[in-house]
Amino acid sequence: MKPTPPAASMNAESVMPGREEHAPAEAAGPDAGRRLEKVILRLVKGGPERLAIEAGQADAIIDPANGTVILLPEVQRQARNRHIGSALDGLTAHIAVLDPAGVVLAANKTWRDAAATRQTRIGPGVAVGASYLAACAAADGSERVDGIAIAAGIRQVIAGERRHFRYDHACASPAGPRWFTLSIRGVADDPPARAVVYCEDVTERKRGESLLALEHAVARCLADAGNAPAALKAVIRAVCETQGWDCGRYFRLDPAAGVLRHEESWGVPTAAVEQFLEKSRDLVVRPGAGLKGRVYQTGQPLWIRGGAQDADLSQTALAPGTDMDGAFAFPVMSEDQTIGVLAFSHHTVRAPDDRMLQTVHSIGSQLGRFLQRQQALDTLRRNEARFRKLTELSNDWYWEQDRDFRFTQSVGHGILGAGEVLGRTLWELPNIVTDDDEWVTHRSHLDARWSFCDLEFAAVRPDGQLSYYCINGEPTYDEAGTFTGYCGTGLNITDRKLAEIALRERAACSLAASGPVSG
Amino acid sequence: MSRKKPAPAATTVVMCLYIAEGGPNSVQAIANLEAICKEHLPDRFKLEIIDVIQHPLRALADGIVVTPSLAKLSPSPTARVVGNLSDKSSVLRALGLRG
Repeated sequence: MKPTPPAASMNAESVMPGREEHAPAEAAGPDAGRRLEKVILRLVKGGPERLAIEAGQADAIIDPANGTVILLPEVQRQARNRHIGSALDGLTAHIAVLDPAGVVLAANKTWRDAAATRQTRIGPGVAVGASYLAACAAADGSERVDGIAIAAGIRQVIAGERRHFRYDHACASPAGPRWFTLSIRGVADDPPARAVVYCEDVTERKRGESLLALEHAVARCLADAGNAPAALKAVIRAVCETQGWDCGRYFRLDPAAGVLRHEESWGVPTAAVEQFLEKSRDLVVRPGAGLKGRVYQTGQPLWIRGGAQDADLSQTALAPGTDMDGAFAFPVMSEDQTIGVLAFSHHTVRAPDDRMLQTVHSIGSQLGRFLQRQQALDTLRRNEARFRKLTELSNDWYWEQDRDFRFTQSVGHGILGAGEVLGRTLWELPNIVTDDDEWVTHRSHLDARWSFCDLEFAAVRPDGQLSYYCINGEPTYDEAGTFTGYCGTGLNITDRKLAEIALRERAACSLAASGPVSG
Repeated sequence: MSRKKPAPAATTVVMCLYIAEGGPNSVQAIANLEAICKEHLPDRFKLEIIDVIQHPLRALADGIVVTPSLAKLSPSPTARVVGNLSDKSSVLRALGLRG
């Protein structure tokens, strides 16, 4: 026979009574007390019921007048305690009561569960009946200072030197570091209890804050970086330092070859990490091969927990003899396309939670957009350099004017040096030789925003000789359609002009030499 | 030569224990009765436990006013013990297991 839930029955031939009746036990209060006295007085003096009550062996009395169940005071107190206990057990915070020696007298379910699984050494890892102070004193490593501080706080509260002690601390646990906010309050009116410990696991909140800070750090890295390599290094470093990982590498997609190639990396300055990163520099990863290849193929983050054995992912198994037997990789995306993979290595790599996945998605997207933008800028810069080279090689020059027709740019072999041209209109240049009527006509074309072609004019060179030029231009507008000026090209036509002049002069000489023709 | 007393027929004892759920004396009564049944009535008892908070009228109809109360219903004679059943000899007497 085992203790059986009341309201049922037990043994091999149990009978479940019907629920034909239900009268809640009467609540405590003056009325209940008076009614209880009256019912007791009606019981036969010296009878078994009266004797059981007098011996403290009764829990409840049923009023024969109406069937109301009246709980005896002790049962009522225990019922209240039970309800409070249930409420405390329902809380997610760890709650315990300490005696004057710092021994855990009682604890709620969350605390007891944590103690049963030994999730931490200090804090909720202390079992009921064990000394919290002793656990604090036994803390070592990174928890030693916390243990000393908490023990001092507990002693002060127990001694009544302070009413409240609050402390934030981290604990090592098999599932990684956990953060707690500890609050200890003195208890004066319930001996032997002397202090109540309220310990809240704030790991999720701390982790969320840490990941949010990481997202902001990545955004700052990208804003400050002048180029893609600097940005990649800064982002990898920010992730490593926030997560406590040893190193990270970026593998860029080579679209022509269809493979991933090592592009950039950062690692803590240890010989093993540096050696590992050095070996990675020539690494080429095919889609689907290893962790990085799978990430590229699926477009999803993947990881290998530290200490895990996965022969299929052996390509990511890191340098033997190091702590880097865990890896985490996620895609770098731009416009829904994977353009690279970031891979990090350390033994503390664990299965990421939703918040971590959200963060790496954000980092992968931010970085992807940045890299694509940088690539576009690089292409633009290369094109511009090529264009400059071409204009330098030719006789032509390229020019731009603002809305007042002042030169803002002159590239190539222009009329004068760029410094003398910039900020002036064509007709304000001091060495231009042409008549005013031509300028009036040309300006009317400009005011009408017409394109112009083969506008020829002459300029006096420093040696006093004339040079001849021909320019073409067309108006420019911004995205809103507002006129912004002119741009165009120019050509030095001095040789052609001089040849024409020489030809005309020779023709004139020939005509003069031949003399008048007489008939 | 000693004369052996014939063993009593294995009669099933039918009982009813009235309790108030969670009450300390009720919990104690269940534990005490469990120990007695295990020792003296292995496999020959039938027990119904009634929580008077849930079934007050049933208890009242059975003449129960105080919990915990144990009622022996059969075999005759019927008997009743009020309290947490810590007095083992009283319980055994009521159940007809000791004279």
